[in-house]
Amino acid sequence: MPSTPMTAEPLLSVRGLGVRFRLPQAEVTAVDGVDFDLARGEVLGIVGESGSGKSQILFALMGLLAANGGASGEARFGGRNLVGLAEGELDRVRGSDISIVFQDPMTALNPFMRIGDQLAEGLIVHRGATRRSAWAEAVAMLDRVGIPDPAARARAYPHQFSGGMRQRVMIAMALLMRPAILLADEPTTALDVTIQAQVLDLIAELARDSGTAVILVTHDLGVVARACDRVMVLYGGQVMEAADVDTLFAEPRHPYTQGLLAAMPRLGGETAPRLGTIPGSPGSDAAPGCPFAPRCDRRLPRCTVERPALVDRPPRRIACHLEAADAAS
Amino acid sequence: MLRFIGRRVWDGGLTLAALVTLTFFVMRLAPGGPFSKSRKISPEILANIQKTYHLDEPVWMQFGRYVKGLVTFDLGPSTRFRDYTVGDMISAGLPWSVTIGIWAIIVATLIGVALGVAGAMRRNSAADYVAGIVGVVGVAVPIFVIGPLLQSVFALRLGWVPVGGIGAGWRALVLPILVLALPNVAYISRLTRSSMIETLRENYVRTARAKGVGAARMVRRHVLKGTLLPVIAYLGPATAAIITGSILIETIFALPGIGRHFVDAALNRDYPLVMGITLLYGALLIVLNIATDLIRAWIDPRLRNGR
Ligand SMILES: Nc1ncnc2c1ncn2[C@@H]1O[C@H](COP(=O)(O)OP(=O)(O)OP(=O)(O)O)[C@@H](O)[C@H]1O
Ligand SMILES: [Mg+2]
Repeated sequence: MPSTPMTAEPLLSVRGLGVRFRLPQAEVTAVDGVDFDLARGEVLGIVGESGSGKSQILFALMGLLAANGGASGEARFGGRNLVGLAEGELDRVRGSDISIVFQDPMTALNPFMRIGDQLAEGLIVHRGATRRSAWAEAVAMLDRVGIPDPAARARAYPHQFSGGMRQRVMIAMALLMRPAILLADEPTTALDVTIQAQVLDLIAELARDSGTAVILVTHDLGVVARACDRVMVLYGGQVMEAADVDTLFAEPRHPYTQGLLAAMPRLGGETAPRLGTIPGSPGSDAAPGCPFAPRCDRRLPRCTVERPALVDRPPRRIACHLEAADAAS
Repeated sequence: MLRFIGRRVWDGGLTLAALVTLTFFVMRLAPGGPFSKSRKISPEILANIQKTYHLDEPVWMQFGRYVKGLVTFDLGPSTRFRDYTVGDMISAGLPWSVTIGIWAIIVATLIGVALGVAGAMRRNSAADYVAGIVGVVGVAVPIFVIGPLLQSVFALRLGWVPVGGIGAGWRALVLPILVLALPNVAYISRLTRSSMIETLRENYVRTARAKGVGAARMVRRHVLKGTLLPVIAYLGPATAAIITGSILIETIFALPGIGRHFVDAALNRDYPLVMGITLLYGALLIVLNIATDLIRAWIDPRLRNGR
């Protein structure tokens, strides 16, 4: 159970989070100056197109960056800074207080291990459970995420499961630990639409019941509308705009957010709306200005030379020079 | 699983049958016979000898006789060493070859896997460099160089072990086993290292880290199996090769193993002995391949339903 008492103090407080990768010739910045807070029981959505750094934010929090990557900044959780925490210390937090559902369910499970053992492992390692009792809990959780005949399926191996089933196993594995924070990286991408809704509801239910806070990474604004309380829009590794879901959908202020919403077919439509295509692609991080400037149709001269700061404009936070221009006029 | 085993054994049997047929006819179709060119023998004696060895019968009858002998484990007399049967010669030589072969593989696997794992876990550490050096030496320096080198140091200079022969019990086998193991230490350590580095990059290993299982449990429960699969695939054929391919070692260290008989037999057109040893090698390879497949299937559930 989370050690943080229920106060105004956020469960997780992230400041100036950065992720950089060393490449043979150069260094690339995948995440730059990301700030956010996460309260108990809250569901925070992170949206942004492919390559915008969504997954790397989650990996940085878990100490799971690739060997050529490094994180900077601060992520306060339970009195510790998760960034730069030693592996041994991290292992006490990972899988116990914070769990993660990975993006790719096909390769995230160990092919040599029974599903039940993979689920039970966390309980055995962190809670000192016996294999027997852990296995029983694992079967119960498989049942909850909608795996038919869970007692038999727990004895099976990952290759005997479809992609959607594996994703549910991953979700069961994460939920089983009743973590304080659940990091879910596109948890519903591999699922068909009806199951998607079920799984999202399950995650939301868990957040409500056990006070688990969720960071939900997605391409899908429909998922955001359905499951999230707040949402953070990412572009080129930087936060463009962040607000509660209602504000963001009703009154998007950042040109990128506006573009996203405009490209979205229709709220509440039957087909799951995906992030629409906005012309261009995330710019190179060597450029000094706003990462979105090259694709922005309301670009000011300073946008390409000066990076806009992320400022508080209640009820939102936004990083855009237009805000300052509007305020001045 | 049972069906899988049955299938593998059946396939192995078929391969062996094909091998029996092939070796028999290749031997008979090759020009010259065991007695054709040695000394001048009078026609009567030649006919007599040929009768003794049934060389006067039509080939298909010889084949039938041969298969019948095989089934009853009677491989007939050696044509070169007339007082011995092929069975005698194999059972005299095989234990030596198997003993040094098995020990060499065990030594090579233990050292190779340990070096490989250490290298993969601590890349560019001292262990990694040692493994690298062993790797280069083991592969690049041939047995007939390393063997005499070790003999001159450990046998002649230090006198810890005999130069060769079998007079000194287990001591006599230390050097041959080490020399035989060395190239395999090299290969197995490199194989283990690269396989483990690859496995450490797998998404499911990241999942294990995300579960906070700790480094020791992660390696034991999540990394080792994936790492060892290719190593095990290599060990089956390598064991067969090491047992059958120890001719050079047996010569350098004057061991009465089966490899030397094989060369003698081939040079002397000793049909029964050549065929006996060929079949032995073939059977060994088949059995070891089946064993390898079974162990791999035991480790990897994805291999169980297959083929
Ligand atoms: N090991 C690495 N070395 C170099 N660059 C990397 C590495 N891993 C990720 N990146 C880069 O970091 C950036 C952000 O990647 P990230 O995986 O966070 O994207 P994402 O927003 O999750 O995208 P997607 O929606 O496709 O999952 C990408 O441009 C990617 O190329
Ligand atoms: Mg991603």
